[in-house]
Amino acid sequence: MAAYHEIDLRAAVNAISDVIQNRPRPIRIFDQIYMKAGDMVLQSEFVARWADGKKLAFIGDGDSISVCVAYLKARGIVNYGPTEIVLFDFDERICNAVERFADSERLEGLKARLYNCLDAFPEVGCFDYSYTNPPWGASNGGESVCVFVQRGMEATGYRGEALVVIADDDVLPWPKQVLARVQKFAIESGYFVQKMMPKMHAYHLDDAPELRSCNLMFKATPESVTPVGSSAIIDPNRLANFYGRGAGPRVRYIREKRRLEYGKAHDDEYSLEILE
Amino acid sequence: MMSIPWKYWSENMSKIIKPGAGIIYMKVGTHAQETLDDIISRKTKEIEQTGFAFWGYGGGTCHPETMVQPFAKDYAERGQTIYLCMQEMESKHFAYPVRADEYSIDGIRWETIPATINVLGSRYALAIKDLQKEDLELPLDATKVALGNSIGAIGSNYIRGKVDKACLEVGVESAEGESHSGGTEKILHIGLVAKVVPPYAVYVRNSVK
Repeated sequence: MAAYHEIDLRAAVNAISDVIQNRPRPIRIFDQIYMKAGDMVLQSEFVARWADGKKLAFIGDGDSISVCVAYLKARGIVNYGPTEIVLFDFDERICNAVERFADSERLEGLKARLYNCLDAFPEVGCFDYSYTNPPWGASNGGESVCVFVQRGMEATGYRGEALVVIADDDVLPWPKQVLARVQKFAIESGYFVQKMMPKMHAYHLDDAPELRSCNLMFKATPESVTPVGSSAIIDPNRLANFYGRGAGPRVRYIREKRRLEYGKAHDDEYSLEILE
Repeated sequence: MMSIPWKYWSENMSKIIKPGAGIIYMKVGTHAQETLDDIISRKTKEIEQTGFAFWGYGGGTCHPETMVQPFAKDYAERGQTIYLCMQEMESKHFAYPVRADEYSIDGIRWETIPATINVLGSRYALAIKDLQKEDLELPLDATKVALGNSIGAIGSNYIRGKVDKACLEVGVESAEGESHSGGTEKILHIGLVAKVVPPYAVYVRNSVK
């Protein structure tokens, strides 16, 4: 394990800025809500430290924490981090943005796979740790969180550790209900709650600007039994209100429209007025 | 019941803002460089010509699919109508008055907006009729957010800063109990109301030509 040293904050913030510049714009209907930049810096450093030397699966990652973690290490801003990171996301724009960034920055060991979490997980037991920041389940009692957490557990073969980023609020009741539901689900799946870091992250979330999220960390119990395989989720009770009340899943993949000059201003955004 | 006593309701209750009602609260003013009076007269004409109008807006607090549609459908199933309750404010909304020519209920299937309806400078629109000026009081302390990430929050705690619109339930017990910030009851003046009618709220866009 690497020795931890103080990081160059300016270099870290600028690195995260590079990642943000590369990110596609969020689609609100799919709960793509982006974490604020300062919290991304701290979260990425924390995840790099937590998953040092591990193979880490990201089950969805609109925030691009996966890229930040790989990039901080590649740039020498931290000298620790996962050996391999694979992102599984149903948004082709996000997957392609990760692949493009990994290619341009020569980030070995960072990959992305187009995958919808309702389908059977394709790489069961191939990872040590999992990370997810899923739809927070305000309208379905946390079931959408449990689906993403389940895929993370399958990714690690019900071994290792899982980090779940979900809503955390002192006043509103639903985040507490979801936290309880997810912890119950994890315990029933052979895990225990290892750590909770409350109210860590803020978001660009216009319908709840004060809402924060926590890091909820699970570890598999030694006697945890590995279930065989993975299957598609078709139970209507698990799918109802997946992305909010009345918004069940109906899209398998978000496909990227091919553009030249990716990441730059699109030519349908402006016109040129020429000097006389 | 929260901090608003029954006496308040018995003295001030309107047929729109009353216990159990569902409302969409919105601050309104100049929009896309057009004054509120001009917008009202234009929308009134649209309702006369088309039977309804699209009232353009933006922001995720009243997202068409995840907020307004399920909110309105809940009330419709109970035989109730939700109202758009608008509070006039000073604003300088600089969005370009670009006309949307298509609308969609689900963001997938798009249809042409009738030529008699003009939605300018907006991403979303409410379907409304019976647009009329009113003189109503809305006690925000006696409302709660009806759904979404802030479900259960007291209206007066929720409507502040950049949050200037919300799907609210009136006069029902809030998940936040009796607590609300500020300590004083926050009564807003509602000067303009409209019925929200199916399909309640839609996405709008100007197709690239």
